[in-house]
Amino acid sequence: MIEIKGFLETSFLDWPGKICSVLFLPGCNFRCPYCHNHPLVFHPGQFASIPLKKILRRLRSFKDWIDGVCITGGEPTLHADLPLLIREIKESGFPVKLDTNGSCPGILEKLIEEGRLDFVSMDVKGPLDPFSYRRATGLPVDLSLISKSIEILKREKVEYQFRVTVVPQLHSREEMRTLAQQLGAGRRVILQNFNPEDPLDPSLKKTVPYDPKALKEMERMVQEMM
Amino acid sequence: MANVIEMKEERKDFKEEFETTDMALFVRTSEESMNDWNRQRIVDALIRETYIDVDTAKEIAREVEDLIVTSKIKMITAPLVRELVDTKLVERGLEQARKMHTRLGMPLYDVDQLILHPNKENANVPHGPEATNLTLAERIKKEYALLSVFSQETADAHIRGDIHLHDLGFVDRPYCSGQSLEYIKRFGLSLPNSIAMAKPAKHPEVLLAHMVKFAAALQSNFAGAIGWDAVNLFFAPYLVGMSDRDLEQLAQMMIFEFSQQAVARGGQAIFTDLNLYWEIPKHFENVPAIGPGGERTGKNYSDYMKESQRFAWALFNVFLEGDGSGRPFFFPKPLVHITEKFFQTPGHMDFLHHICEVASEKGNTYFVFDRGETAKISECCRLSFKLDQTDLEDAKEPWKMRYCALQNVTLNLPRMAYLAKGDDTRLFSKLTEFIEVAVKAHLEKKAFIEKLLSVGERGPLALLAMNRDGSPYLRMHRASFLIGMVGLNELVQVHTGQEMHQSRQTFKFGLKVIAHMKLLVDKLSERYGMHFVLEQTPAESTAYRFAKLDLRFHSPRSGHIVKGDISKGEVYYTNSTYLNNSAVLNPIERVRQEGLFHPLIEAGALTHIWLGEAKPSKESLANFVIKTFRQTQNDQIAFSPEFTTCNACNRTSRGLRSSCQYCGSQEVDGITRITGYFTKLSSWNKGKIGELRNRYRNQAYIEEAERGAALKVG
Repeated sequence: MIEIKGFLETSFLDWPGKICSVLFLPGCNFRCPYCHNHPLVFHPGQFASIPLKKILRRLRSFKDWIDGVCITGGEPTLHADLPLLIREIKESGFPVKLDTNGSCPGILEKLIEEGRLDFVSMDVKGPLDPFSYRRATGLPVDLSLISKSIEILKREKVEYQFRVTVVPQLHSREEMRTLAQQLGAGRRVILQNFNPEDPLDPSLKKTVPYDPKALKEMERMVQEMM
Repeated sequence: MANVIEMKEERKDFKEEFETTDMALFVRTSEESMNDWNRQRIVDALIRETYIDVDTAKEIAREVEDLIVTSKIKMITAPLVRELVDTKLVERGLEQARKMHTRLGMPLYDVDQLILHPNKENANVPHGPEATNLTLAERIKKEYALLSVFSQETADAHIRGDIHLHDLGFVDRPYCSGQSLEYIKRFGLSLPNSIAMAKPAKHPEVLLAHMVKFAAALQSNFAGAIGWDAVNLFFAPYLVGMSDRDLEQLAQMMIFEFSQQAVARGGQAIFTDLNLYWEIPKHFENVPAIGPGGERTGKNYSDYMKESQRFAWALFNVFLEGDGSGRPFFFPKPLVHITEKFFQTPGHMDFLHHICEVASEKGNTYFVFDRGETAKISECCRLSFKLDQTDLEDAKEPWKMRYCALQNVTLNLPRMAYLAKGDDTRLFSKLTEFIEVAVKAHLEKKAFIEKLLSVGERGPLALLAMNRDGSPYLRMHRASFLIGMVGLNELVQVHTGQEMHQSRQTFKFGLKVIAHMKLLVDKLSERYGMHFVLEQTPAESTAYRFAKLDLRFHSPRSGHIVKGDISKGEVYYTNSTYLNNSAVLNPIERVRQEGLFHPLIEAGALTHIWLGEAKPSKESLANFVIKTFRQTQNDQIAFSPEFTTCNACNRTSRGLRSSCQYCGSQEVDGITRITGYFTKLSSWNKGKIGELRNRYRNQAYIEEAERGAALKVG
């Protein structure tokens, strides 16, 4: 069974409008320089696994409060038994949100078709061209997979959002405009500020994030482009 | 100060004996003059200030004179003479006389320190000449209180740290209060000592000016918070037809007026609570509205819902924006009452999202839950009063709705547990004993305030004695007397070996202790015909003081109990009935568990949700607020984010950092809630710094497999 490495019992920010629990799964196929969960990616063995049973027991004691469970990582779709985990959670009566980087459209499509997911949040790393994507993920990425995932979500079989973590060096206003045009998802695109506290690439520690107001303004621009 | 020995008085008394040694000696007096030596002044002072007989006084005067002569001093000060006289009183065993003859004052070194270094007892006091004036005055009044207002028994209990008498430096004022704007709307601003009288306001800006001035006047007559009920509603009759822009402007004026420390006492911002409602509170629905000029408008308050709501919305627009550098406003504090009627009022979800956005972005919003039929008004950090039947009668004439708490006395709960040595019966009898001391303290303070009030409008508390509507401004018969507590969690830990969050049984034991306190307090209320109520003491410095004192008196036991870092001196007890700040409890558990205490704590209670750096979605917060209202007994919640504000580039970022995220400058201040209000970390006392380091901010904990260390994930 999947190793669950982290459990946040309540979150007010991972599922808009809901109070949700968050499960952290280890491992990732990207190497985004601004990643702040990188110990989970590189050294999952260092962390104790939390038995699913224990998690479900905790969840049940907050049944009237918790509106759903968010599965994040790392990259959850890399785990072959992700569907199993999702089923267990759903059977306990909790809707499921999946965070993904969109690199496994096959699994994503299957989960959506089978009605296992209630919300998908896909991290889009930058404008959809090989150069930008490689720069933002630290690896060469097969863009067709990403585009496929975007296309799957845009079929609107499930509620979804595209989330972009904005780093000034990687995401200029112009680049964000391009990305917004490529996504054409309006208010479903949300921006989040990058956190320089402990990024994977230490040189980013000195990077000054966008001013919150500027970011908000940028988000408005992105959302208004269809 | 009328100290005869300091030669303020003319030589007059007891002139018959005049054979004082002719010394070439000058006494430096407090009148900024040099007087030549005269032994008779010692005699005069002793006779005036104490009960000793003339012969003894003369004898003492002569002995002191001899002492000075033999010491060959050329110039002495009045305080020194007084101390020398005191030693003679002590030698004779005249304890009472020595106490009466005490000089209140401060060592030169202390004054020097005070002027050069900031005061950390109350983070709401900045450092500056006004602030040091305040501190100096407080020091003298504190000594005065412990010597002269309270009995020796009460004072000793305070000094030992069994109890804490709050705001001793403000002993000549009541503790905190709640007002109605209707009072100044109806009577204008006509203060007893003021040279000009203002008629009732005709314009909203003038009403605001009256409100601010009245608040400042009240601040100089109360020790603590000044609360205002239903501010948006009572402003509403003045706001008819106002444009959005003007309304926003008015809202800005109100918040900046109360947040900027302009005229206030000791440079200290007025601790202001604004109670706000989205609905028209039931008890005001059919009340005739007072409008411009203090006239009745011919309508009831229920006809002003639109204006009232627009104003509430505008106020939160200002809070959302923050101050000129994007910081949250520290004051005024907005308290929004969430009631059944709130949910029946159109637009409530939009408003809830609006105030939740402020809670997420800046943290200002307090959510006050008035379930069922109770209506409440909040007064202090977390002090609120449930309105009973007589209050609801008052509501028909809302200017009568003015309340006060005369004093706050806090019990050191862990102390009782050390003394009980694990024995239940002993523990509960200690509890009774401590509460009885607290009640005695209240009686003493009440007698003192009544004495001051008895002189009426010509006395020191003229403002509170002013009578404009048939009763004095301070309605003594409606006053409450607060009994607070610190460290329930540590009491339970000492007594049972486990903290409250560690097992169901220990938690239940905590509940039992508070339930017993409530029972006792109710009984005592009946016995004395006074309204004693339990309060969650904010304990900004008390939690630190008790912990320090117990480290001294109950070591080594206390060393395992106090929270924080002993090596750094950053020690504290957990505030009131809270669960351990550092316990990994999610906000649901905290709100649910802590809420179980709230029905027992009549004078209001609050659960903090420390957010840290995280910025939650407003919809999720709204969801949480609704569930808290529906599914718990919790009285009040607030979400507290943390900020770093840069003094170099004037920008504010999320989270506590050692340098500015934007310009890299190290000239930064951290900002978050200390107890019931926001302030800069640089002004915090050590105990609260220790608590801040430990606060659990709802991070996900990911355990390291081997060492069991934890890694935070945002």
